[in-house]
Amino acid sequence: MNYSTRIADQVRGQSPMAGLDRRNLGPMQVFAQSVSGAAPAAAMAVVPAIVAASAGAATIWSVLIATGLALLVAGCIGRFTRRMAAAGSLYSLTAKGLGAGPALLAGAGLLVGYSLLGMASLTGAAMQITALIGLAPATSPVVAAVLVVVLAGLVAACTIRGVRLSAAVVLLVEALSITLMLVVFGVLLVSQGIGVDSRQLVPSGTGVGAVVAGVLPALGAFIGFEAAAAMGVEARRPFRTIPRAVGATAALTGVLVLFAAYTQAAGFAGVPGGLAGQQQPVRALAAAEHLPWLPTLLDAGVATSFLACSVATTTALARLLFSMGREGVLPARLGRAHRRFRTPHVAIAVALPVLAAVPVVLISLGVSPARALVPLLTTAALGYLVAYLLVCLAAPVFLHRIGELTVPSVAATSVIVPVLLVVLVAFVSTAPVSVAALVTGAVLPLIGARYLWMRARHPERVAAIGLYDETSTADLLGPPLPPRHPPPGSEPSPRSEPPPGRER
Amino acid sequence: MRNALAVLAEVVAAGPGVTAKEISTALRLPRATTYRLLNLLVAEEYLVRLPDLRGFALGARAGRLAVPIVPPPSTAARAVVAHLRGRVRWGVHLASYAGGQVTLVDRDPDHPSSQPHLLARHPHVSALGKLLLAETPDRPLEGGLRRFTEHTVSDPARLAAQLREVADSGLARQCGELHTERGCLAVGVRSPTDGSLVAGLALSGPAHRVAEPNTELVDLLRTHADRLAPLLA
Repeated sequence: MNYSTRIADQVRGQSPMAGLDRRNLGPMQVFAQSVSGAAPAAAMAVVPAIVAASAGAATIWSVLIATGLALLVAGCIGRFTRRMAAAGSLYSLTAKGLGAGPALLAGAGLLVGYSLLGMASLTGAAMQITALIGLAPATSPVVAAVLVVVLAGLVAACTIRGVRLSAAVVLLVEALSITLMLVVFGVLLVSQGIGVDSRQLVPSGTGVGAVVAGVLPALGAFIGFEAAAAMGVEARRPFRTIPRAVGATAALTGVLVLFAAYTQAAGFAGVPGGLAGQQQPVRALAAAEHLPWLPTLLDAGVATSFLACSVATTTALARLLFSMGREGVLPARLGRAHRRFRTPHVAIAVALPVLAAVPVVLISLGVSPARALVPLLTTAALGYLVAYLLVCLAAPVFLHRIGELTVPSVAATSVIVPVLLVVLVAFVSTAPVSVAALVTGAVLPLIGARYLWMRARHPERVAAIGLYDETSTADLLGPPLPPRHPPPGSEPSPRSEPPPGRER
Repeated sequence: MRNALAVLAEVVAAGPGVTAKEISTALRLPRATTYRLLNLLVAEEYLVRLPDLRGFALGARAGRLAVPIVPPPSTAARAVVAHLRGRVRWGVHLASYAGGQVTLVDRDPDHPSSQPHLLARHPHVSALGKLLLAETPDRPLEGGLRRFTEHTVSDPARLAAQLREVADSGLARQCGELHTERGCLAVGVRSPTDGSLVAGLALSGPAHRVAEPNTELVDLLRTHADRLAPLLA
């Protein structure tokens, strides 16, 4: 086969992802997408105390190890995102390494993860806002439910209107959230006295086992940090910005949580039981330091973090559904893009009512938002962990397939995959039989049946799994311009705009 | 740096579809170095990966490393353009789209045309550029959507809608988007064999005249573009 037929055989006139707002997001917007997915502000407030319950005085070390592991996962994702620009996030990436079956499993994990994190962040934002306006959540379930619906409507409006708008909102809100959290913890640290508390850095009386046990909840802080991997089509220089965004998010989240963990651990150093015994550590510290306004800032920081997280996860979820729709794995309508706004509007319109309905039903059944958050978040984490495990396993296989296998990639996978397996097993065995088991029991047979049905009836759809924004003729250097083909799945819309030139 | 240029040169020499291993062997570069340089060149869009993800080819951005060589139009093609100039009181310009860029190849000697480097760099403000953009709607704009006048379309969504109109009608129109008083109309010249866009024929005149429907004028423009097709493709 000579080179010119090699190229003619495979390059299409138009990318299979056509219809999205291609190559239009700057590096900061892509980065903000990932940071918001990880929602570090909420993690800063909650995670250190949970880690301390397992790791005791070694909290800092558990967070440090978890950061290292998150960076390894980011490295595995980067091996794909430096080479292909996908909208289906880890689902499309896994397909290129392990094939259709594992990809569907990763896709199901992500669907569960994105959906439940989306529900949790809507619930969390509503809960924090009711707390901010001074209503006790227990007495105002109606307000919380209405807020969930209003927020979902806002998220739908800005994600459908355009990816540039939603990315700008995410960047602004997340920046505000992180600034608020830095102020909260900075003030706490200064009021405690600036000197370095070396007892937190050199733990005594805690074994290696405690450190390892603390890593599991510490990893929870990073869940969602891969959100930028869904922006492959829309990022301006995807092969550069997306791997950097995911890696930098892992590092930033790690630093922020370390800062929060150190501040809280040092603050409770003199208290019997330390940080581990605290239900609301930041509130307790603020009260001890006579800073009554600090919890309000904290609530605002967490509320904005949840808000940005709901936009970021909806964006990623919609692009995952969009990819599956284009492949025929899900109904093709989901693979439609709005002609003017260039967003997967059908996927968003289908997903958001579900994201809003579940919290509303839970609240109307009498479950308090704070109680609803726990099963939603733990089940979401389970979905993400499955997807992380599969994408890390897929990375060296993918490199081998394209003939670019390297030693570091094999080394990274052989470290991270056993660790993630242990984390997954520990996670499943410690979690009470609950929502996670229910969701797994419902989702696994569904995707299994769908896979077998597709293999029997529509093998071409199984082959299509892993569609991504491939190189099309427009990306190549060369004079011949192709005739224009209508993008698959894009709908003919009535002409809404007057012809140019006659506007004045 | 030297190695990166060597990798780029090797892709040119070996042709599209060459794999990372083949490049590494040909240049006697360590594998890891080759992969790193290839990923760097792909990230900067000088190279692209083909859909099999193994093979490499030159990316559209590599075209900026060389001035596109555009052959002058034939005498027969110039005669068609001259014929149109004799029938209208507007400026008549012919542009080639070779190399994916707007290059004026026959400028009207009696009427001012826009500066060639502005046409090449900011295709969104000219009718000739809009025709090219409508053909490749997903292609990113190197120069961004710079505003020249109050009429410049600098909102990506509005430009996209306008480009869809252009693609549907085959006629591009620009009124005062580059210079407030000037405007132009343009239609494409397409290859009779595969329908690809090879050139554009434009009429330039006062902005308020361009904004009128100009039905007869557009018909005349289309007739001449059709006559140019076999001469330019």
